[in-house]
Parts: sequence; C-alpha cells; structure tokens
Amino acid sequence: MATTTSAIPEAAERTPRRSEGQWVVVFRRFRRHRLAMLSLGILIVIFSASILAPWIAPFPRDDIGLNRTNLPPLSVDPANGKLHILGTDHLGRDFFTRVIYAARVSLMVALSVTMLVAIVGSLLGLLAGFFGGWTDNVISRVMEFVATIPDLPILLILSSIMIQNADLIVLPSWIIGPVAWMMAVPNREATQVALLILVLASLGWVGIARLMRGMVLQVREMQYIESARSLGGSNVWVLGRHVFPNAFPPLIVAFTLGLNAALVSEVAISFLGFGVQDPTPTWGNMMGFATSYMFNHPWMPLIPGLPIFLCSLAFNFIGDGLRDALDPRMKL
Amino acid sequence: MTAYLIRRLFQMVIVTVLSAMLGYSLLYLAPGGPLLFLQQMQNTGRNRVSEEDIARLKARYELDLYLPVRFTRWLAGFPSGPLQVGGLNLLPPDTVVGCAIPGQVRLRYPDGTVEIREEGCERVVTLADLESRRSSRGILFGDFGLSQQIARDRPISDLLMSRLPYTLWLMGVSTLLAILIGVPIGIYSAVRQYSRFDYAMTTITFVGSSLPTLFMGVMAILIFSVLAKDAGLPYLPSGGAQAVRDYTIPWIGRVEAGSLLDRFLRFIMPVSVLTFFNIAGWSRFVRASMLEVLRQDYVRTARAKGVQERLVITKHALRNALIPFVTLLAGVLPTLVAGAAITESVFNWPGMGRLLVDALGRSDYTVAMAILFISTVLVLIGYLISDILYTVVDPRIRLT
Repeated sequence: MATTTSAIPEAAERTPRRSEGQWVVVFRRFRRHRLAMLSLGILIVIFSASILAPWIAPFPRDDIGLNRTNLPPLSVDPANGKLHILGTDHLGRDFFTRVIYAARVSLMVALSVTMLVAIVGSLLGLLAGFFGGWTDNVISRVMEFVATIPDLPILLILSSIMIQNADLIVLPSWIIGPVAWMMAVPNREATQVALLILVLASLGWVGIARLMRGMVLQVREMQYIESARSLGGSNVWVLGRHVFPNAFPPLIVAFTLGLNAALVSEVAISFLGFGVQDPTPTWGNMMGFATSYMFNHPWMPLIPGLPIFLCSLAFNFIGDGLRDALDPRMKL
Repeated sequence: MTAYLIRRLFQMVIVTVLSAMLGYSLLYLAPGGPLLFLQQMQNTGRNRVSEEDIARLKARYELDLYLPVRFTRWLAGFPSGPLQVGGLNLLPPDTVVGCAIPGQVRLRYPDGTVEIREEGCERVVTLADLESRRSSRGILFGDFGLSQQIARDRPISDLLMSRLPYTLWLMGVSTLLAILIGVPIGIYSAVRQYSRFDYAMTTITFVGSSLPTLFMGVMAILIFSVLAKDAGLPYLPSGGAQAVRDYTIPWIGRVEAGSLLDRFLRFIMPVSVLTFFNIAGWSRFVRASMLEVLRQDYVRTARAKGVQERLVITKHALRNALIPFVTLLAGVLPTLVAGAAITESVFNWPGMGRLLVDALGRSDYTVAMAILFISTVLVLIGYLISDILYTVVDPRIRLT
C-alpha cells in the first residue's frame, strides 16, 4: 500500500491529466481565479497573524497607559521610547496588539460558528432529505419557522439577553476551556464569546440544512445510490459513503460564505454593544470605540475597518472562485 | 384558490402565535425589569418598601399573574375579567389567576440561621380584580402595551409610529434607487454577456454586496463628513435626521436646522450606503433571469422572424424575465421595518432599527418584542403576497 501511495505523485507528474483526483482538478480550476487566489493569500496572512498573536504582539493586550492615549500610527511612546506601529486607543492600549488579538476572536468565532452550523445543518439536512416522511416533515417545519423569524432583530435580542447575563450563565468547562484556548482569552472572558457563538449558530444552521436537503433529494434518486442499496448497503453506509460525498461540493461554497456571514454578524453585534464586551477585543467592538473617536482621530476606524473589509471581500471572492471551480459546466 | 388562501391564513395564524410564544418566553427569561431595582432597594434595608408597594407595582406590570394568563392577556387581551355568556358563568369572578403577595415561610435551621422562603400565596388575584386594570387589547390586535424604559409609560405603538416614517423613507427610497439602478445594469449585462461592461459591473456590484454596511457607513462618514470637513470642502453632515442648530457648509452656505436642505443632506449618506449594498442583489437577479430567457426558443423565433433586437429584448425577453422579479419585491416588505438596524445605528438615523438597538441597550424588551413581532408578521405577509403575485403574473402557476 505504501509503495502505491508514494508512486502516485510521480505518475501524476508524468501524465498530469489521468490520475488526478477530483480535488486536484478543483484546485487547478480555482487557481485560475486570480482575485480568489489573492484573497486566499490575504486570509492566510491574517489568519497566521491571529494564531501567532500571543507571540508576535509587542505589548500585553490590556496594557493601559493614560499618558499615551490616542497616539497616531508609527508614533513613539514618549515615556519609554517604544514604537506603536498602529498607534494607541483611547486607553493607551497598543492598537497593533489589540487588532491581532481581535482577529483571533473575530475569526475564531466565525470559524466555530460555521463549523457548528455546518455539522448540525448538514446532519439535519441529510436526515430530512434521505429518510423523508415524518423526519423530513418535522425538520422542514422547524426550518420554515426559523427562516420566518427576521435574522437581525432576533440575533440582537438573543445576544443582548445572553450577554447582559453572561455572569449568571454557567457553561460547562468542556465548552469554556476550548473556547478560551481558541480565542486566546482568559477563561472568565470566554463565557460571553461562547454564548455569542451559540446564539449565532442557533439561527445559522437553516441555510445549510436546506441546501443539504435539496442536494440529497437530487442525489437520492441517482442510480449509483440504487446500486449501493441493492448491494445490501446499510443506511449509514449509503449515507456516509455515497450520498454525503456527492451532496458535498455546494456545501463548501456555502461554508465559505457562511464564514463571511458569521464574521459580519459578530462584528455588527459587537459594534452595537451586544456582543463581546470591551477588555476582550474583537474587530466589532474596536470599531465601536473607533467610530466615537473618529472626528478627532480619523485614522482610528481604519485600523479595525481594513481587516473587516479585507476578510469580508476575501471570503466572498473565495466563495465565488470555489463556485466556479466546482461547477463542471463552467468553462474556465 | 379560496381553499388555498384559507389554509394559508390558518398556517399564518399558527406561525404568528408560535413566534409570539417564542418572543414572550424570551421576554420572560430576560432579566432586569422594573422590579429588580425595588428588590435591590429592599435588600439594602435603608428604604422600607412594603409588601403592598411591591404588590402594587407587580400589578402594574402584570407580574402578579400566572404565566399562561399573562401570555394570553399579552397576546389577545384575554381574560380581561369574568366571562359570562347568557347567564352561564364560564369564568366565574373568583377564578384565581395570580398571586399578589407570596406567602413566606420562616425556616429555622438547627444552627440558628433563618431563611425566608416564598411558599404558597398570601393574597391571590382573581378575575374580578382584573376588571379594574388597564386592559391591553393584545398584540394580535396591534396593542403592544407600554414602554418601560425608552419612553416611560407611553404606548409602544406611539413610539413605533413616531419612528416608522423615518425607516420607511430610508428603506423605500434606497430600495427604489437600487431597483432603478440595478435592473438596467442587469439587463445590459445580460444582453452584452462577457463584455467589458458586464465584467466591470459584475465586479463593482459584487464588491458592493460583499462589504458590510457597517464598514461602508463608517467609511462614508470618514470620507464625506470628517475628511471633507477638515479639508474645508463641502461636507455631508452625519448623525440624526436633522440638525439641532444651524450650520454652514462651504460653497453651499448656511443650512437652517430642520430645513428641507438639512434633511436632504443627512439623508444622502445612509440612502447611498443601503442602495450600493442592495444594487448587486437586483442586478445579479435580473441578469441571471434575462440570460435564462434569452436562451428560450421564443426569443430565437422572434429574432428569426426579423423583429428588431430592441423589441426582442424589451417585449419578448424582459417581460418574461421580470416574472420572478415580483416575488422578490414582496421579500422587501419585512426589511422595511428593522432591516437596516446597523445602517441606522451608524448614521444615528431615528428609525425602527435604531429603536430596536436603543430598546435592547436599555433592557426595554417589550419594545424589542413588538418590533420582532411586527417584522415576523410582515415576513409572513410577504410570503403570501409573493405566492399570490406568482399566479397573477404567470398563469402557468396555480395554487392548490
């Protein structure tokens, strides 16, 4: 077995068109979308910065200094001669440090929301589409109901109720621990982040579930499913080995766009003050503070604003590129 | 059709009640509220707040009623008192519906500590008591009760009505502009598919729809208000729907607070941001729909028999391409209420979305629930209208 796997890349080099897997083809097609590739590069940079935040941050995250507030970018702290690359905020905290820690929180919130949504949504969609009958009926009615409730108001209401009582709500440590680790925040700050993730995920799964259900309904009628069944395949085997992989591609696009939606929602909610609260930085609450100081310090909103802008655009371009790459009818 | 409509209306009522229940349970779970402050005062021991005071306040906010009773009163204003039908006491006046003063039990532990626990009921509320209270007609009939924080004791419907025109203006104008700009772009992009115009427009509208309105709004204020003002150029005032006092803008001159010009200047930015954000949706939709129709046989037939290209586009293609369009229009309906909470907050625009944000910021959950409820109902009405419109514009579709 080991020899065959090591032989494949060599064979692929010699005869590139023959032994390529589906994903190699998709990536080759994706590479043609220049903006998407550029976006991927930008995202990788921002993601790495956020992951390396504890190591590359030049200052402690909450290092308040009232004698160095609102310094413009590239200014030097008069007291100790240290350089603040992006300046300091209204409490004298280093902007560069906070913006990369905020990237950690904002991006990881988006990622965990999308993961949760993808798992729950595709599982429910898979069940509804594959089994039909009352399973489908129940899941579909719930989906219709959740889809009826307007997103933004319910999101704001839920998160404001949750966040204002974050102290009263006790989450189990197996949620708090990983969340605190992922977001690089202390445990006591992790509750609000975890709550926000739960709120965002509780409404977001419907889109994925609908998509999955629709795809499964199509795939279910295919002949290869019939043959898999006639070979005596169990439900789990047919679902996992045949239905899911074939219904999967459109999900990747939805996943990328879902990352964007989650990011934008988190930013908006935190901006309005119902999300992650101040000492924990996110791009949203940084934007909130920056806008109230922008009339005297016009560069401030750019500091959290540009990463939001870049990520949002990048997710959309990558989603677009993936859509084209995954569509077999599309000629590139 | 009639049977279909009846069934749909029935479904709508069920979903409405369900969403009201969901909203109410959130309201019930929401902490804070008017009694929290009183309890804190009582606990400090400095101010004596008697049981009677608390009972009176509870009665005012209906907190002394049992939850199901409170819910039905909130939903439909029922029961508002004893119910008699033709001499038959359906709900006699002495039916217990709540508890005004909870009974207290002193628990003395062996180690000498005393705990006071609420148990049972010292004074109950009966239906006869309800008759004298201000009775809400229930949210199903448009009575949302009183605001607790934002505007003390003013009916929520007044509050909503004072904000509604601002939101309607903002959303109405920006939707209209987005359609007026987006639809022609979509048509032209489809007719000249893969042309330079098509690529440029697809990219621009794609970027417009990808940017969060939050970012666009802040950048617009930064560029057109802050930087333009600093540079001594004519700038757009930001924040609010009208100024408090007069101000001067270079090249334009003195702007009177509250004048038409003042309102217009403040209207430009929020409308432009929303429009730019929404154009992509319309143009992309029309482009896809047009491309679909242009491939149809009847378009080829029209061309083959020598109909002018302009007529082919406008008469044969466009008309059919716009069929699905009307259904999108109905989807706009719910966004007219709280669809622009973020844009309104960025520009401090006194609309419904901003009201929602303010209400949540001050824990005035009854106002927030009213907005949520109205938008949910509008979503349902939007769905219904779009389904009916489908049959009107496309005779091939029948509702059964």
